[in-house]
Amino acid sequence: MKIKNIILALVISLSVSGFLAAQQDELSPERKQAIDSLALEKVRDLSKYVSIIGNKNTQWSEANRVIDRAEELFMAGAEIGVSSLARPDVLYYNVRAYFERLMRLNYDRVEIEWYKIEYVSDLQRQPDGTYVGVITIFQRFRGYDREGGLVYEDTTKKDITVYVKRKETQIGGRIIGFWDVLLGDIRVKETSR
Amino acid sequence: MNKQHFMHQLKGLALILLVAAVTLGGSTGCKSKKKLAKEQAAAEYAAKVEQAKSDLNAILEDATTWTLKEKEQRVKTIKSWNLQDEEINSLLDKVEDKLARERADIERKAEEERLRREEEARQKAEATKFVSLESMLKSIAGAPDVNTANDRINQTLMMFATPDVPVLIIISRAGGFNDYDRPTTIRKYLEYLKDQKVFGNLIEQVKYDDYGKITELELIKK
Repeated sequence: MKIKNIILALVISLSVSGFLAAQQDELSPERKQAIDSLALEKVRDLSKYVSIIGNKNTQWSEANRVIDRAEELFMAGAEIGVSSLARPDVLYYNVRAYFERLMRLNYDRVEIEWYKIEYVSDLQRQPDGTYVGVITIFQRFRGYDREGGLVYEDTTKKDITVYVKRKETQIGGRIIGFWDVLLGDIRVKETSR
Repeated sequence: MNKQHFMHQLKGLALILLVAAVTLGGSTGCKSKKKLAKEQAAAEYAAKVEQAKSDLNAILEDATTWTLKEKEQRVKTIKSWNLQDEEINSLLDKVEDKLARERADIERKAEEERLRREEEARQKAEATKFVSLESMLKSIAGAPDVNTANDRINQTLMMFATPDVPVLIIISRAGGFNDYDRPTTIRKYLEYLKDQKVFGNLIEQVKYDDYGKITELELIKK
């Protein structure tokens, strides 16, 4: 009798976990749309952070706080590419180093604008359950001298790999299922004037 | 003399005849009055029976414009007539059942309406309660400069138990469960509003401690 109950419990447990796994495997179009939008929103958030960090009028303490927030958007070990019209190669920095360099750029005024933020590769489910996609952005960079003259200007197309994974945490005694969006490397695709 | 006696006797006879006539006539008139009264009572009874049947059937068939109170008053009046009529007794039973159901229905509807109004008032109070918090969140996003935003953040934080109060943001809601963005804290969320300059959510739920401070904030994407 006991063995029967144990087997029954196992079957129910396996069915429930199978059902939950299947439910997560097959996201409804509405849920998929929601995580697509969430990932795009994180890139837009990053765009704003880049603009704040690069802005010479941003107080040092504020810029450092924003760097912390921007860093939280990335996976550990992620790198960001930096290109220049003055050299052919692309330099890659870890996220923190990239933002600190951005904060200290040798211009009196910097304008950084991201536009055409869109998916080039839709989020696809990987065997481990992570959704991976690529979002492309165009960055227009302008650096000015003390007199307000434009010293340097370029437009760079960059690809950002995004990873979205379902996770759980306990808050106020209840389990919260959330989608954790993390940005991977930002690769420079092309740079032009 | 004889003539005089005859006349006297004639007068006596006439008097007797008159008394007899009056007596007989009176007796006959009294009998007619009783009969009339009886007939009148029977007619009145029949009219009441007819009226009662008509009214009770009308109530049963919803063929009146009377209110429930008027119908109940009508039933009370008909019962007070104490009509000994089987059909009317049967109709009265049916009508009383019907009116009891109508009464229960009205009371149920009144209770539903009361609960609906209470819920409306609760939602209104809840919405009003969120208005002040929502306007503070919007004011941070719309601050003209960093210092103003920081002042507003500090003011807003006073509504919360600690700066680490969790903030949950629902990104989608389907099949009875919610999908959330990565949970954050209220301090980080307020700073996010300052940086991004947009408040693109609605307040879904707020939890308070015994001191009226917020201990959890749940938002939902617009």
